[in-house]
Amino acid sequence: MSFVVRIDPTRCRGHAVCALFHPDGIELDRWGYGQVVESGLDDRRAARRAARAVAACPNGALLMMEVVDGSGRAGGSSDRGPVEEGHMVGEPGHVR
Amino acid sequence: MIGSPPVPRVVPEAPTGRVVGGPGDPGTRLLSGPAAGPEPLASHVARLGLLAPPVRLATLLDTVAASGLRGRGGGGFPSAAKLEAARRAMGAPLIIVNAAESEPASRKDHVLGTHRPHLLLDGAATVAALVGSSEVVVHAHRNEAGGALLQAVDRAVEERRAAGVADPRWLLSAGPDAYVSGEASAVASFVSGGEARPWFSGNRMAARGPTGRPTVVTNAETVAHIGYLAHVGLEGWWAADSPDGPRLVTLAGAVATPGAVVEVGGRATLGDILHRAGWSEPPAAVLVGGYAGTWIDGPTAWWTRFDHPGLERVGARPGCGLVAVLPHGACGLAETARLARYLAGQSAGQCGPCVLGLPGVADGTEALAAGHLRRRGLDRLGTLAASVVGRGACSHPDGVAHLVGSALRVFADDVARHVAGAPCDGAGHPPVLAVPADAPTPSVWR
Repeated sequence: MSFVVRIDPTRCRGHAVCALFHPDGIELDRWGYGQVVESGLDDRRAARRAARAVAACPNGALLMMEVVDGSGRAGGSSDRGPVEEGHMVGEPGHVR
Repeated sequence: MIGSPPVPRVVPEAPTGRVVGGPGDPGTRLLSGPAAGPEPLASHVARLGLLAPPVRLATLLDTVAASGLRGRGGGGFPSAAKLEAARRAMGAPLIIVNAAESEPASRKDHVLGTHRPHLLLDGAATVAALVGSSEVVVHAHRNEAGGALLQAVDRAVEERRAAGVADPRWLLSAGPDAYVSGEASAVASFVSGGEARPWFSGNRMAARGPTGRPTVVTNAETVAHIGYLAHVGLEGWWAADSPDGPRLVTLAGAVATPGAVVEVGGRATLGDILHRAGWSEPPAAVLVGGYAGTWIDGPTAWWTRFDHPGLERVGARPGCGLVAVLPHGACGLAETARLARYLAGQSAGQCGPCVLGLPGVADGTEALAAGHLRRRGLDRLGTLAASVVGRGACSHPDGVAHLVGSALRVFADDVARHVAGAPCDGAGHPPVLAVPADAPTPSVWR
């Protein structure tokens, strides 16, 4: 089972706590908005950090998704890129 | 004078492709039939027959897959893959025909919908049958063009009811006119009871849309192609001459008839299309795919095939099928600056990098066009444009970055002159590509 981290850009307000909790996967852009630089969560430690970041985001903008088809490619809201079927792990802001 | 291309002097060799006129012109496929619209049901049925159920669905899906049809709204997503994903998803999919033609210079969906409403509805009924849905929403803008399209569709629906055509349930929807409100996820959001702004989720809409149901948003022209494929089969649609079928193209800028919609097929090059638009030799440049599209220099464009593989070779995509022509003597950077400013103002205001980045991209491009930008500013513009790519819920910021990036590449000689503080002669040239006059920042989303 593999997970990816994604940011909902419509919810992100640049509080930047995600980069604090999950520095290996998320960097801040020039405006202080989080940017996923490594979406994969290979080891358990990275997954734990990412889960804390998900819980810490005040806007519920950070998502941890289970990759169902194993492609590891992040999908998009519309129809860009390959079809990925994933589902959200827990509610944003409620993952420990 | 703007908009008056040189009188054709040279008759080129036999065109390699097929570029024919609008509705009713001989040689058209999708637009074949009467010149005046909307085409009545009787004429449509006499021409193409009835799509009598039961349609062999598996065969039809194979046909769509074999056709290589890709979305004609801008994204270019393979249609068969979208339908297949919706078929596999849990629950009855919500089918939306997207006729909200936001692209300011594009008219092809409008021409199609107001002239061939029954072909559109046949296609929509086919899509519904293919994915197992009994309901279809036809969505357009509230503006005049959208209203006319929905009126034509409404009349067509009445005709079909009276004639007892076995159809899904039709729902017509009119939404906000904003540029981004025509984007697929914004349309899905609006139709689902939300705002007409791009919608984010980690899932593909075909698997799970804003309502939780699988949601298929398909451009009006794409839908019509599926209908046409259902009627005439692969051979009739394709005529074995093109990798992804005929397509509708709107002509804009310095062409004989701006706003004209032509049908392009075969191995048509941009040169064939430009020839039809009144050019006998390459113009300065062509903007392809929409206002957030790709500039291609004239000589390169002339020999570029107008299909996915051909355009990809020059870093472009067919997008919504817009071909906008820049004449010699006009400044491509000034045109790009105007488009970038317009597009920056059309952000839905949801995603930080789009809201905060695009105005800077427009500022930089304007400064470049005016000759106020120096080498370092140019580097900053490039970095800023790159930093918004992939950062929105939709690809609006990507499109603006792509437009500006292609301008810097194609008009590199002009860029060098502008950066040296000596703007080109075209700086005082009147605008070629029209943007909606004093386009307000959109504020109505419901």
